[in-house]
Amino acid sequence: MKTLSFSKIWNKTKTFFSKPANIILLFFTILLTATVIYPLISLVLDSFMVQSISEAREINEIWGTAVKKGDFTFAQWPNLLFNANSEYSLYFFWQPLYKSVLMALLACVIAVLGGGVLAWLITRSNLPLKKYISAVFIFPYIMPSWSIAMFWENFFKNTNIAASNGMGILQAVTGICVPEAMVYGIIPCALVLGIHYAPFAYILIGGILRNMDANLEEAATILKTSRFKILRRITLPIVAPALISTILLVFASSISSYTVPAFLNANNSFTSISIAMRGLIITAGKKGQGYVVAVILLAFSILILTINNWFTRSRRSFTTVSGKSGQVSKFRIGNKPWIKWVVAGVIVVFVSFFAVFPLISFVLESLQETSGNYASMTFKYWFSPENFDVRITAQGQSSQGIFHNYTIWKAFGRSVLVAAVVALIAGTFGILIGYAVSKNRRSRVANYVSSIAFLPYLIPALSFGAIFFSLTFKEGFQWLNVSSTNNEMSAVAICILVASIKFLPFASRSGTNAMLQVSGEIEEAAIITGCPWWKRMTHVLFPIQKSSLISGYLLPFISCMRELTLFVLITSSFSLITNVLQFYDVYGMNQMSNAINLLIVLFVIGVNFLINKLTGASIDKGIGG
Amino acid sequence: MPRIELINVTKRWGHFVAVDNLSMVIEDREFVTLLGPSGCGKTTTLRMIAGLETPTAGKIIIGDRVVFDSEKGINISASNRDIGFLFQNYALWPHMTVYKNIAFGLENLKWKKEDIKNRVNEVMTTLQISEFRDRYPSELSGGQQQRVAIARTLAPNPQVLFMDEPLSNLDAKLRGEMRTELKRLHRDTDSTFVYVTHDQLEAMTLATRTCLINKGCLQQYDKPLHVYNHPTNLFVADFVGSPTMNFLDAKAKQVEENILHIEFLGLKIKYTSNAPVKLKNENVILGIRPEFLLIKEDGSIKGLAYSTLPSGMETTVKINLKDTILSAVQFGAVDYSFDQKINFDIIGKGIVLFDKEAKLSIALGSCEVI
Repeated sequence: MKTLSFSKIWNKTKTFFSKPANIILLFFTILLTATVIYPLISLVLDSFMVQSISEAREINEIWGTAVKKGDFTFAQWPNLLFNANSEYSLYFFWQPLYKSVLMALLACVIAVLGGGVLAWLITRSNLPLKKYISAVFIFPYIMPSWSIAMFWENFFKNTNIAASNGMGILQAVTGICVPEAMVYGIIPCALVLGIHYAPFAYILIGGILRNMDANLEEAATILKTSRFKILRRITLPIVAPALISTILLVFASSISSYTVPAFLNANNSFTSISIAMRGLIITAGKKGQGYVVAVILLAFSILILTINNWFTRSRRSFTTVSGKSGQVSKFRIGNKPWIKWVVAGVIVVFVSFFAVFPLISFVLESLQETSGNYASMTFKYWFSPENFDVRITAQGQSSQGIFHNYTIWKAFGRSVLVAAVVALIAGTFGILIGYAVSKNRRSRVANYVSSIAFLPYLIPALSFGAIFFSLTFKEGFQWLNVSSTNNEMSAVAICILVASIKFLPFASRSGTNAMLQVSGEIEEAAIITGCPWWKRMTHVLFPIQKSSLISGYLLPFISCMRELTLFVLITSSFSLITNVLQFYDVYGMNQMSNAINLLIVLFVIGVNFLINKLTGASIDKGIGG
Repeated sequence: MPRIELINVTKRWGHFVAVDNLSMVIEDREFVTLLGPSGCGKTTTLRMIAGLETPTAGKIIIGDRVVFDSEKGINISASNRDIGFLFQNYALWPHMTVYKNIAFGLENLKWKKEDIKNRVNEVMTTLQISEFRDRYPSELSGGQQQRVAIARTLAPNPQVLFMDEPLSNLDAKLRGEMRTELKRLHRDTDSTFVYVTHDQLEAMTLATRTCLINKGCLQQYDKPLHVYNHPTNLFVADFVGSPTMNFLDAKAKQVEENILHIEFLGLKIKYTSNAPVKLKNENVILGIRPEFLLIKEDGSIKGLAYSTLPSGMETTVKINLKDTILSAVQFGAVDYSFDQKINFDIIGKGIVLFDKEAKLSIALGSCEVI
């Protein structure tokens, strides 16, 4: 009897492993549990741990305990959340949290309104210049969010504001000085984030509108429903799941945004929750409390993911509508032909302002000795071999003109290396996960793998960085800590690890979507002819979904190139190009940081364009799916 | 030569039983159709034989090779079962030309280049698709795609060919043509065909034997005409034949060894069974094929014309007999006006008697009104 049951188990195991999809699932169950779930747990545990000697002293003073570094304690949480001592909690936690929530809400409204209205106009109206508008509208999403922030500052800063560094373009050209609240603080931060995420909303909502069976709307038209009523009663409810998804995803990304508030935060007028967190972890020697903030941001995200899943689950049936009829009768803008041109004109100006103008502003800023002073134009920040700042050379780094600056080019090289390796790992993993999930749609393991693979998207970049930052202090992982090894390759290694996981969600989403679109029979037809698994992947499945699968590589690459928040804790100031940018910005070398910004944005747009022309892949295919 | 044997094959998904303890033998060079309503387990059965689905339990033998045995843990993969499979949606690879689609499988089998070329050209000629060799599947019509799919399946000379509703995506006319060609192809290729369909007409016209499946259980496995004339149970009688068999609730009384008296809708009938019968239950169902209702002026049963559906060669007449609608078939085109009086008789020796409770056929015989 015993041998029989053993052979049964053995047979079952054999059958299980005869399918590559099962091996992949098992592999990722283990890998993702180790790289996503384990760090999460360790972060939560770290928030209950005394992290340093100064922390221990503080806790012992307040609570009359005798803990030392490395002990378990419940004190971190109340210390941060309910410490009324000179309103500590208010200033370091509650106010930043409140402001961040407000900023994220505002950003959501802007992104969804802007992206949604444009998506509707592009898919459902006779707006002219659609091609140009939809191509250029994506730009702010390809650009790093803080490059828009920098542009904002370049454009609006003025001599009336004490914190401003020179004259902005607006003042230089028109003499208009906008108030400080328009340049620094919560309002510009929300605007910039909203503009950055509007294309994201546009891609998600536009994707649904495009795939939505036009018959649904036509059926209502035939029943004499008015245009407005169709929009309100039919189109909107069908788009609602995507709308809610967008709102939640934008909210999750915005609330924990670090870079935008960091750039638009002159004289500390606006401390966002992530800035507070970085402060706690890095400067004040209060790592434990920093981890508490990270856990709270994490809880926010998991809550958001749950709400999102709940919405999409109960409404999923709506979204997978794709019909035969392609064209709806287009909504006509205005009853005179010139009206639509005026509308298009306004949109073109608006879109170009955030897409093309930043590039111009970066060029101008990098060429001016004094910001806003067009008489002080110089090429020296690009071509001069002399060092401009002794404080920088004192640290063994270069402050020469861009083309002579080894600090910049080394960091740029490392950034490209990190981005390329991350794209390779995340993209390939995404395809494999997509394949395995599409083959086992109802299985629990597949569900687990696909949700875990999506989880990193919702973990705020700074918290995610914090998780791995805390890891680098653990036994066996210290070689990954750049500040102790003093070797930039440590930073490269941990950045590759962190970013491969963080950017896996995009890749696994587009991989899953692409694989679900290929009917199982396509692969079975190849199985029958004796085609081995790897050849089915490379010769059958990959070529069929080439463009969306390549998008799965492109997205992590672009995201990685422009990422700063995720890396800020685990890198030195010179590891990656984005670090260097922030470094020069801190030292007031505006020309350099603008020039670097230009380099990054041009590089990213160039790669995107090239891949798009060569393979037909594009980032909207990756997200929209 | 390939003879396929299924022994107690079962497939379960959780608590749902898709195929329940199925045993059947498909003899060499047969053309067997698996017939049943959608969701009955016929496709699952086919996919299990092909190796695309793993049975929960049982044993499958193709030729003299055990390809699956849950007890011994044998499970030979689909690629090593020497079979061809024709998919419902053709599953042509959209990024390969017609030529490449056919050649790809042969390349995987490591054929010589020269042989591949010759073989692809040969099957393309057989299926008359040579002119499309450099086109992509999206540039072909449904019928042409179907031919390419068949060519691709035939190219490696499989000994067994599995087909999963291959004609259901074609229009009616093309479907008729392809049926004729598939039957020829079966003779020309000299191999065993297993064919899944929910279309009883396809099953009847193509198969050498047809296997009826319902809710994962085998219902009847016989030559098509035998299934038509000798249905073993109510499900088979109902599923095979178009228009469907007329079913009448009736009460029966044994008179002699092979004679029963049957009452339905106020009519009294003497039923003479072809073989001795022993009535266990007085509640029976009388099953009459439409062709056994003969409309004639001096017919002994009186009804009304409910609706007449002439199709040219034959006419289906729906007869209202005391508010029960019966189907009759008449050769040639006739048109009765609505509610016209019609007289008819029950003729022939193929009237089936079913036990109402067990739903099994108990006798075959003829009727006479008394």
